[in-house]
Amino acid sequence: MNFDPSLPDEGINVSRSHPLREALLLVLGVIGVTVAVVASIGFAVDWVAPLIPPDAEVYLFADSFDPAAEQAEPDAARVEALRGILDRVSAHWPDSVYPFRIQIWDEAQPNALALPGGTIAVTTGLLDTVTSENELAFVLGHELGHFHNRDHLRGLGRGVGMTLVMFAVGIGGGGGAAQLAGIAGQLTQRGFDRDQESAADAFGLGLVAAEYGHTAGARDLFEHLRQSDDGSALSGYLSTHPLHQDRIDRLEAVARAAGWPLTGKRSALDSVLRAEPTELAAPGQSAPDE
Amino acid sequence: MILSNVETVPGKNITRFYGVVSGSTVRAKNVGRDIMASFKNLVGGELKGYTELLTEAREEALLRMAQQAESLGANAIVNVRFSTSSVAQGAAELFAYGTAVQVD
Amino acid sequence: MDAQIALLQIGIPLALLLLGYFIGSAVERRHYASIREQELRWRSLPAVNFRTVPRGWTVEDSTLLMGNVVISVDYFKRFLAGLRMLFGGRVKAYESLMDRARREALIRLKVETVEQGYHALVNVRMETSRMAGARGGNSVAGVEVLAYGTALKLRSRPT
Repeated sequence: MNFDPSLPDEGINVSRSHPLREALLLVLGVIGVTVAVVASIGFAVDWVAPLIPPDAEVYLFADSFDPAAEQAEPDAARVEALRGILDRVSAHWPDSVYPFRIQIWDEAQPNALALPGGTIAVTTGLLDTVTSENELAFVLGHELGHFHNRDHLRGLGRGVGMTLVMFAVGIGGGGGAAQLAGIAGQLTQRGFDRDQESAADAFGLGLVAAEYGHTAGARDLFEHLRQSDDGSALSGYLSTHPLHQDRIDRLEAVARAAGWPLTGKRSALDSVLRAEPTELAAPGQSAPDE
Repeated sequence: MILSNVETVPGKNITRFYGVVSGSTVRAKNVGRDIMASFKNLVGGELKGYTELLTEAREEALLRMAQQAESLGANAIVNVRFSTSSVAQGAAELFAYGTAVQVD
Repeated sequence: MDAQIALLQIGIPLALLLLGYFIGSAVERRHYASIREQELRWRSLPAVNFRTVPRGWTVEDSTLLMGNVVISVDYFKRFLAGLRMLFGGRVKAYESLMDRARREALIRLKVETVEQGYHALVNVRMETSRMAGARGGNSVAGVEVLAYGTALKLRSRPT
């Protein structure tokens, strides 16, 4: 036999395809699938959550949450005053079965939290920011809205769903894929979280309108919060609480649709709730009522 | 293209030999098959999904090897060998190689 | 602040990917050019994978010789392969890796043969193994291909 030194054709064992195009397709594919799966989990959770009776939820979370007991401010008078407002506002939600508790946390950042099981926490920073009882009532109403909408259950369900998706992507693809899916999934989650906040806003608005006859407290609160903090457009999207102006607009739309007056007489704040007088000018305090 | 995994093509004479030709593909399984396989791991048995996947991949490798031989002008490949190696946890390389020859 | 962190989270991997892509493709192109040139240069050295010594060859001496190489992929290809492994299908990023490694190993075997003074190779075999990356299973540091065969010293050169 004779030897023939020819060489075979080039490129038979490689595929001719532009890597950037393939990268684009795969990246869009991963983002698309992740968003679709996370969104469906979100919708499924939204559908299931109202079906679980509130008694079960109270039982589930009853013993698991009292971590903030140490943070709670022991000033009984302030807690009492806040409790009074809460009782008046929650009277307009007669079906609630939650055993509501109030806690005041000593923090400079204005914030309010609804803790699973029925505890509502308000920071001293928030108490220093508000200038009328209406604003506090709206804050409490918003937190009550979270309980009404079963937001803790939804958050739990979505968290479990996200973990499963990340697990599946982790075992399937490499680190890069997991990062990509993680970012896409988180951004989708934020959308759900923001909708939750708006829904809680709307519920709080309803309670406040029922208690005072108008919704001026909500707008005042946001004006005050906006004066003390200025977020850029991007950070607004990425955080779970929608940007303040956005929120104000949505609230006004809800109020107008329901026929609740946007302005009215503000009720004075119980003096025991204010540690020191605030320098922020409260809109409407000097202007005559509409 | 005649394929044989012995030294010669039985019954024929090799008139000319070229060199080593090879064909390979790298294939990945997908997450769905992976999860089904994990379930199958509980009870054991044939992983049909993987069997199909690897068979398809091996055929493609053989095809590519034949293409290389054709481009040389050969009409047979002798001493064909297979090699499978895992390139990453989710991907395997199917590799077939042999010597391209011309038989009469 | 939140926005800057997120931008950094996306920005740094993206920058690494682009770096991997541009430099990686340049490195690959250069390697392929070198492979083609060397294949042309050594193509007159017969390398077969059967065991029979062709009729007419008189063997004076023989020995076992090896050639091997470890090649790694760039970050972009690794990322692409990771995505591909979610969906299944042909992992094009690694195909060129294997092709390069195999051809390079064979070239090195031939070079070794010539350097040692031998004239032909029979029973050439190839072995592939994976070098796992730092993070274990999914990450690939590189691939090693070993080509080995029996080198023959011939009294008369093959025609």
